[in-house]
Amino acid sequence: MPELKIVKNATCTFCGCVCDDIELHAEGERIVETKRACSLGESWFKNHTAERLYPDALIDGQPATVAAAVEAAADYLYRAHMPLVYGLSNVTCEAQREAVFLAELIGGVIDSHTSL
Amino acid sequence: MGGKVTCTLGEVKNRADFIIYWGGNPAECHPRHFTKYTLTQKGKFVPNGRKGRTMVLVDIRETPSGKAADLFLQVRPGKDFEMVTALRALVKGQPVDRERVAETGLTVEQLQDLVNQMKAAKFGVLFFGMGLSMTRGKHMNSAAVLALAAELNAFTKFVAMPMRGHGNVTGADVVLRYTTGYPFGINLCRGYPRFNPGEFSTVDLLVRGDNDAALILGADPGATMPQPAIEHLARIPTIVLDPKVTHTSRLAKVHITTAATGVSAPGTVYRMDEVPLPLRPALKSPYPTDEEVMRRIREEVLKKPAWLPATNGRAAIA
Ligand code: SF4
Repeated sequence: MPELKIVKNATCTFCGCVCDDIELHAEGERIVETKRACSLGESWFKNHTAERLYPDALIDGQPATVAAAVEAAADYLYRAHMPLVYGLSNVTCEAQREAVFLAELIGGVIDSHTSL
Repeated sequence: MGGKVTCTLGEVKNRADFIIYWGGNPAECHPRHFTKYTLTQKGKFVPNGRKGRTMVLVDIRETPSGKAADLFLQVRPGKDFEMVTALRALVKGQPVDRERVAETGLTVEQLQDLVNQMKAAKFGVLFFGMGLSMTRGKHMNSAAVLALAAELNAFTKFVAMPMRGHGNVTGADVVLRYTTGYPFGINLCRGYPRFNPGEFSTVDLLVRGDNDAALILGADPGATMPQPAIEHLARIPTIVLDPKVTHTSRLAKVHITTAATGVSAPGTVYRMDEVPLPLRPALKSPYPTDEEVMRRIREEVLKKPAWLPATNGRAAIA
């Protein structure tokens, strides 16, 4: 049996309520218990595991290393005249700041779900 | 949304005795909104909890949220702006035309009664959802309810707050605002930020075919956007960062798997009332975080000669 890890006051990011009073019980690669989370939050936490279900990266649909994919991404973005950086919903503010930095560097457009 | 009269959810919990939900269905979309922040909690100045509060639901049909409401007002689809405008007139004691009010599906008496209750409240709050802000009128509707809340402050304390959707969309607004000065749809092609919704918003750009590369993170436009936009994403080199291989990944040139925000990636997210909260991930992912991959892409781009000589390739922000 993998060890049970308990995280108190965990934060759920599934909806805009961002409840920060969840108690998570994790066993190995998955979360088994989500105290105080609603049904949406519970399935969100339980749907994401730490298993390796997907390849690290894909280039043209073929498995690749992260380093190669990062390099390919940088090439495409650098060469583009009007690249777009879009999304920013399910990521942290730290990642959003990086996205702004990159968008400025490549001279692109940056946009989020808010524009829909 | 400059000049928004708003507050935090903590204030709602401790003070609000009159709560309107307009064009939203919290019972199904924000399940703990009622119990954690707005209706049932006992607050410092609302010691009786649910009994001390009145809740009104305005929507085009009665959703499961209606069960929690003291009053349900059914507005005709696409008539939200007209209804808000009539309410704003009644708040100021202006005459309104019966027939035109009837087009909203409600009577002048119903609206007058609502206005009386709003004015009688000690602390009122109006939450508005996508049923208001994404239907006919769109941001004009949002501007109208924000104006209604602001104008009610001539009589009592009244605030408004958008019911933001999933994940960290609120954080995106906040981060873009404090780094570029604008909340979304920002064009940095000239080396400085320009904001023009409709011109620089993603769907418009993609449908017109303006972009020649795209990086998508924390979203799956391949599943949600109009078909012409998706087709353009498939035509150009698209790069996707996501914990799963998504619809967009399948039409992309490059996909990089990342750790899931909040589950296995740490950081900060903003609640809908723009309060930042730290994440406490319970799992350790075998994949890098979005933050780390974005940093690595940026460092890779920085190795190349600058396209904008004046900045020497060094961005001024972040
Ligand atoms: S626990 Fe439920 S209400 Fe709270 S943030 Fe998660 S999904 Fe939203």
